[in-house]
Amino acid sequence: MAFIDFQEKWIVVTGASSGIGRAISIELSRNRANLILIGRDHDRLMETAASLGSSSHHLLLLDLNKLSTINEKIMELSRSVGRLYGLCHAAGVVETRPLNSLKIDGFQEMLDLNLISGIELARTITHRNVAEQGGGSILFISSVYSHVGAPGQVCYSATKGAISAAVRSMALELARRKIRVNSLSPGLVHTPMTSAAMGLLSDQQIKDIEDAHPLGTGTPEDVARAAAFLLAPQSAWITGIDLVIDGGYTAK
Amino acid sequence: MAQMTMSEALKWVADLFEEPLDNINPLTSREEIDAWDSLGTLSLLAGLDENFDIRLPIEQSSAFRTVGDILEVLRQHGQLMNQ
Repeated sequence: MAFIDFQEKWIVVTGASSGIGRAISIELSRNRANLILIGRDHDRLMETAASLGSSSHHLLLLDLNKLSTINEKIMELSRSVGRLYGLCHAAGVVETRPLNSLKIDGFQEMLDLNLISGIELARTITHRNVAEQGGGSILFISSVYSHVGAPGQVCYSATKGAISAAVRSMALELARRKIRVNSLSPGLVHTPMTSAAMGLLSDQQIKDIEDAHPLGTGTPEDVARAAAFLLAPQSAWITGIDLVIDGGYTAK
Repeated sequence: MAQMTMSEALKWVADLFEEPLDNINPLTSREEIDAWDSLGTLSLLAGLDENFDIRLPIEQSSAFRTVGDILEVLRQHGQLMNQ
């Protein structure tokens, strides 16, 4: 028997249209998870779906910044697919912006997407009418910036640090229902999102960040394998942790 | 947005870098402005984008040496009146 086997349980993956979310979707599917892929871009979600294995999947076009629509959409879908086992909240935005040019509206949008939409999704999929009765697993994609600081990342760090804090409390609250809650904190992974954020940095600044990772920078697949491990039913005794996968970035 | 006068543009630069207006003139060099480091360059890029819809590559803004270089960009984009 394979070490990781999702046994066709349903998992909601946000940010599934690109980068880390897409890689996680592919890895989960490879390990026999059925997926609800959430994203804003239909064509790119279709590209992710085309890369999946033979497990079932549904596409859900949803703007997670519209927080009040999340609950209804997921409830509706669960009525058709059945009970849900898990959630992987990989959707997020990053922006390099010094404190003195911070815009409250932009910060609020980042907070809504990176943190609050994930918590709202967790609330929805753990509803007693939605969650599998045998337990479940929730995973938030955080960041090394929840552990260490970086200039220009005040808002991003705040959203990711809040995730790690929320995960611990959520894990304790949901433990009696055997629903596990964890987070992953990747170092620098080259994705369309991080490339856009780094577009504002000079070549030297980018090289400095890359050089700070002793094992080099990561790939979305590196994160995806760790995500599958934490989400898997076989990791039944792991909850409330934040797993750092950063090529040694925070070991120094 | 209406074109700025030179004094309005200098005030914009002073506010951006949190410097007293008296310290800012077209000849003021980057080294004389404490907040004009690499993060200050990002603030400048964000400020130009959000206030004037001017999007510059990082290489161009990193090459600025004086306040006059910033004023020249504003002028080229029609945001600063010709004197």
